[in-house]
Amino acid sequence: MLLVARKNLFSERTRLAISIGGVALSVFLIGILLSLFRGWSQQVGSFVEEVPADLWVASDGTTDFAAAGSILPEGLSLQFEFMPDVETVGPLIVRPLEVSKTGADPDDTFDLQLVGYDPRKGLGGPLEMVDGKSPPGPDEIIVDEEMQSRYDVNIGDRIQRGTKNLTVVGISRGGDFIYTQVGFTTIDTAVDFLDIDPVGQRTFFVIKLIEGADVENAAKRLRLTAPQVQFVEGDDFAQETRDRIMGQILPILIVVLAVAFIVGLAVAGLTIYTATIEKSREYGILKAEGFTNYYLYRVVFEQSLVTGILGFVVGAGMTIMMGPFAQDQVPQFVVYVRWQDILAVAGATLLMALLAAYIPMRRLTSIDPVSVFKG
Amino acid sequence: MIQSPSSRADEPAPPGDTSAVLRLDNVSKHYRTGEFTVTALSRVTFQVNGGEIVAVMGPSGSGKTTLLTIAGALLRPSEGSVHIRGIDITNMNETELASIRRHRVGFVYQSFNLLEALTAWENVRLVIQHHSKDSEHEASIRARELLDMFGLSHRLNSLPKKMSDGEKQRVAIARALAKDADLMLADEPTANLDARRGAEVMALLREKAVELNKAVVVVSHDNRIRQFAHRVVWLEDGTIREGDPHSVGA
Repeated sequence: MLLVARKNLFSERTRLAISIGGVALSVFLIGILLSLFRGWSQQVGSFVEEVPADLWVASDGTTDFAAAGSILPEGLSLQFEFMPDVETVGPLIVRPLEVSKTGADPDDTFDLQLVGYDPRKGLGGPLEMVDGKSPPGPDEIIVDEEMQSRYDVNIGDRIQRGTKNLTVVGISRGGDFIYTQVGFTTIDTAVDFLDIDPVGQRTFFVIKLIEGADVENAAKRLRLTAPQVQFVEGDDFAQETRDRIMGQILPILIVVLAVAFIVGLAVAGLTIYTATIEKSREYGILKAEGFTNYYLYRVVFEQSLVTGILGFVVGAGMTIMMGPFAQDQVPQFVVYVRWQDILAVAGATLLMALLAAYIPMRRLTSIDPVSVFKG
Repeated sequence: MIQSPSSRADEPAPPGDTSAVLRLDNVSKHYRTGEFTVTALSRVTFQVNGGEIVAVMGPSGSGKTTLLTIAGALLRPSEGSVHIRGIDITNMNETELASIRRHRVGFVYQSFNLLEALTAWENVRLVIQHHSKDSEHEASIRARELLDMFGLSHRLNSLPKKMSDGEKQRVAIARALAKDADLMLADEPTANLDARRGAEVMALLREKAVELNKAVVVVSHDNRIRQFAHRVVWLEDGTIREGDPHSVGA
């Protein structure tokens, strides 16, 4: 690093701290938002991904698990079971609901993604039990551990919707969608609890194929038997679910990311610019002494770059350290810090440093070395 | 034309060369301010040889600083020619002029113009490192020697704000000498110093100029400068006044 750049930068500790703080804050905001996006994205798709099914069956126009807008006749299940390569067909009733705990304030509601499944088939049921019994019996429900910790719903509690009640008999893991959690009942309980009429309506079918079967070919054959129905591979269905939820957040996230970038750029740019203006006379002296514009550009750019690097180190450190801490405090704060994202933030910081140096560098060009002879 | 085809700004001056270090031939400088043209210098001709101190004196607005900045390769003349060590710098571009200043001209300013964040040692070392290919170690040794020469060995690591004005000006002279330039240009070097310190600085400047065979141009209002100069040039209204009682040489 050039002597003048180093000395100018580190001789003004307060200004340097403000500058680094601004960049660090920006890096932290960008880093944490990206990690939050990744964390949510991973979380909201994971249940669908983990269900041990090769194909998800939904009515045309329904592409994801979250909205659960599909309606299928129960009879399709038998039709699919007779197809070659199909091992198991599990019917699912899925419905997003608002429920409350019996005995609690009726206005104190929370979201539940109710999943009615057939315990004899097993597909679409709890992924992993943490406590209690499985499968649930009539009028019984298994709730996710995140619902337990967030809303204090425990085994033995009753969940109500209108005049209907379900008793919590188990706690499972892996069904957290952040804004809602999955609760599992039997198909019959779901039909009753949701007042489904006609009772033969199902939301999805999940199909497990025999080992070694070609999923794409099987889907093609199945499509011929039910043209109004779509067959989506598990990973694609998970991605559609992610896209549906994250697609709502993404535009807001992009705006906040841009704001964070602009804040960092503005703080770094302004501090570098004011430092350059303050040192205008000294840059004039250097010009008079025969230092080239290139040398002066380097002085300013190195100051900006070092500010950016230090701000990045502090901001990235804060992201890595504070992410898990925040997650412990706020359950919805699900972060997943990826090195690729940290690298992207490093790129953004470099861009910030470049842009922050640009206007001060232009200012240098206009400094007249003759001015140093005036007083 | 005195410039030899091979002359370059960073080439050392020929040993024992006593020819003119600075030569101005019929130099004029005009500034346009709106519809008016102001003439700051008019057909100025003079030269300064190695080991010689020339004081350029005159009232405010007489063109002294313009003369100094043209001689120092900071401004181009509107007319006439400027040679430093035989190199014609009249029509050089900005980069070439910067190179001339880097290698051929040392400046001493009225307000010292040291870099505030750098110590005395670093102020001198910076200039040495930039104009020569010396390593940091070599530049450090040379900077220390120069500051020793000016009795500033106890101030090596002092920042300018911790030094007296006299000390700052001595650091500034050391910095001007650090380039090993043939030409030194001093702009009111005693203006911010009391009489005793001003005299000390001028005596030192003269001593080193003679000892190191430097050509020195001192621009000043201060009449006490005369006693340290080999020649005095009187400038008034941008013109060297022939026959002026103060004028000597030119």
